[in-house]
Amino acid sequence: MKLNVDERWDLIDRIAKRTLTFGKYKHTLKDALGDLTIKPLTGIPIAIAVLYGFWSIFCSFAGTLCTDGFFVKLFDGHFLPYMQRIFSNLPGWLYYILIGNPQADNCFEAFGMLTSGLFVAIGVVLPAVFIFYLMFTLLEDVGYIPRLAVLIDTVLHKIGLHGYAVVPTILALGCNVPAVTATRILETRKQRFMMMTLLAIFIPCGAQLGIMQEVIPTSMGWVLLYLLLGYFIFGFIIHKLLPGKSPEILIDVPPYQMPTFRNVRRKLWLRTSCFLKKAVPFVLVGCAIVNILYLAGVINWLSNLLSPLFVGWFGVPKETVGPLIAAFLRKDLAVAQLSVIEMTKYQMITAVVLISIYFPCIATFAMMLKEGWRELLGSLVVLATVVFVYGGLLHLIWRLLGVA
Amino acid sequence: MKKILLMGHPNVGKSAFFNRLAGANVIESNYPGTTVDYTKGYIRLEDEDIEIIDVPGAFSLEPKDKAEEVAVSMLNENKDALVVCVLDASKIERGLYLALEIIEREYRVVLALNMWDVAEDKNIQIDVTKLEQILGVPVVPTIAISGEGIKELVERIKEARAIEVKEIIERVKLTSTPGVEVRGKE
Amino acid sequence: MNRKLIQIYFRILGLVSLAFGIADILATIGGKSICLGILEVPADIFRGGWGGLVILFAGFFYLAGSRDILEVHHFSKVVMGSVLIWLIAGCDIFAMLCESIPGGEEGPWFNTLQGFFATYAPPYKPAIFLLPFSLAVVYYIHKREK
Repeated sequence: MKLNVDERWDLIDRIAKRTLTFGKYKHTLKDALGDLTIKPLTGIPIAIAVLYGFWSIFCSFAGTLCTDGFFVKLFDGHFLPYMQRIFSNLPGWLYYILIGNPQADNCFEAFGMLTSGLFVAIGVVLPAVFIFYLMFTLLEDVGYIPRLAVLIDTVLHKIGLHGYAVVPTILALGCNVPAVTATRILETRKQRFMMMTLLAIFIPCGAQLGIMQEVIPTSMGWVLLYLLLGYFIFGFIIHKLLPGKSPEILIDVPPYQMPTFRNVRRKLWLRTSCFLKKAVPFVLVGCAIVNILYLAGVINWLSNLLSPLFVGWFGVPKETVGPLIAAFLRKDLAVAQLSVIEMTKYQMITAVVLISIYFPCIATFAMMLKEGWRELLGSLVVLATVVFVYGGLLHLIWRLLGVA
Repeated sequence: MKKILLMGHPNVGKSAFFNRLAGANVIESNYPGTTVDYTKGYIRLEDEDIEIIDVPGAFSLEPKDKAEEVAVSMLNENKDALVVCVLDASKIERGLYLALEIIEREYRVVLALNMWDVAEDKNIQIDVTKLEQILGVPVVPTIAISGEGIKELVERIKEARAIEVKEIIERVKLTSTPGVEVRGKE
Repeated sequence: MNRKLIQIYFRILGLVSLAFGIADILATIGGKSICLGILEVPADIFRGGWGGLVILFAGFFYLAGSRDILEVHHFSKVVMGSVLIWLIAGCDIFAMLCESIPGGEEGPWFNTLQGFFATYAPPYKPAIFLLPFSLAVVYYIHKREK
């Protein structure tokens, strides 16, 4: 026998009456603290503080301690000269692909598959991704993330998403690949499409953040702000243009709890190893392909072809075409490559922004294809528009400020 | 092979439960929807390997999002599976809705009243014995995150059997409410 | 302990936090860090501006909460004020820790013992001065539970 909805609730009601007693519920300190993190007046300052902590620890650990403290020394001082020495007998073209520029005295400039490729993957990106996921996992297990979702719900509703969109958004700051999977927590196809498109375009991944911190530490804040603004502006536009529903949801807030070591360790390992498996091969292969394209003259040909667009519309040197092609494979690689091209600070910001909003890396591309080719095509159309409009806009801003 | 489906609302600790049971690599998260692809593992019960599947969180069997669709189709594909239905003990009515839906479809069900500690914090008392009498399925209070009650739950899996909703409705009528009882004593 | 006394204590702590927060923000706007003996008010946009804002918030939390320390919703604000101070001070200390371990660009792999300790020498950031005083809240939580 099956019941209908009303009969079922009626039965539950009767069962509950017979088995449940509610004592007087006294608010504990834990509840009161929980309330503080949800109410906007107190919750927003707390969110600002949490972000500060997140960012501060990210920079101290990944930047100061790991990359600047040890890896730069290891790779530039020991690994690079060693590789240059033992491979010095290789034929020219192979040396160029594997080791890169023989005159280089640091791993940013060498740009060989085994030099810059490994340095970027292990020396810069790995610590960044590790510390990012450690902190995200802690916040998640303590129970802060759902509260952040509640807090930001109103804002995200304006662009047709809801509070839980923070989950894929924050995950994307680590790596876009798991973030694309996480978009499935959104209800409608429209929301999933929007989320996927927005995060692929506007959310820089942990790899990029790590490398930006190395290459443009002082203007990084502005780049992030510009991207965040884009996230909301284009989110709003897509929301208005696209048909489809954006339903409300009820967010369930679990109580705060102590994270367990076992769970944190397991999650951290799962996420970091997933990143390692996906990223390292792409960085290395990406390096090799870009080098081959350079050797074959394809990149030169493309830079000449596209230079009117780049120089005239975006206001960046035509050499940046190379990194943009690298960006298709791994964005972090591309930002690293930009660092050795000579240009002004403002051109650099434009170029980094372009790379961030330009095509998602190939791994994300593959994930999005898995979610549906029509969505992917749609995202591509949005992407092309955004790169053209938003990149040009930045150039215009520099013009108006009189710095370009 | 025998199968156990682990079902429940999003965010009631299903994945924590699963980790306790199968010791596999499931990501436990504190927000709903982490398990959108399902995960499976194995446990040994009385010298028999049993497949245990962590079903994505669902509020009901009338699907509203992709995760719920997956949940319903998994239930349909495994007609002879046993279902461990995980409830949030502090919001038991909501969980019972899903549990009843599963019971109506004539699955063998074990109820886990998870997050029992939270219910205690909120001063909610649940008469487990009476609940068990009414529903006719094993009901076990658990705290998955620390592992309390999991062993009892596993031991009682064999007691599960399919129940007719009619029987439940009959039994509800025969049970008194605690309020009435108290008044009687005074 | 006297309830009035505790409230006055947290009110003073709140005012001091507020002052430090404002000093941080002013230093950032002025673009020059202020050094007073062993106190260093940072002026970069991140530690000074953003961090200063958080210390300012902590001050507001203390002041709002110290009105009625016995009531749990007010008390939770005092606790939150301390949590914010711990967060900022923790980040400052963690930054020092990360700086103290490696040997620097031209130096050896690890820092010398002397260099290691030298990193922890004063001047300190404002939040570090607030840290010991904010810990009083732990004692008080403990006391409440009994």
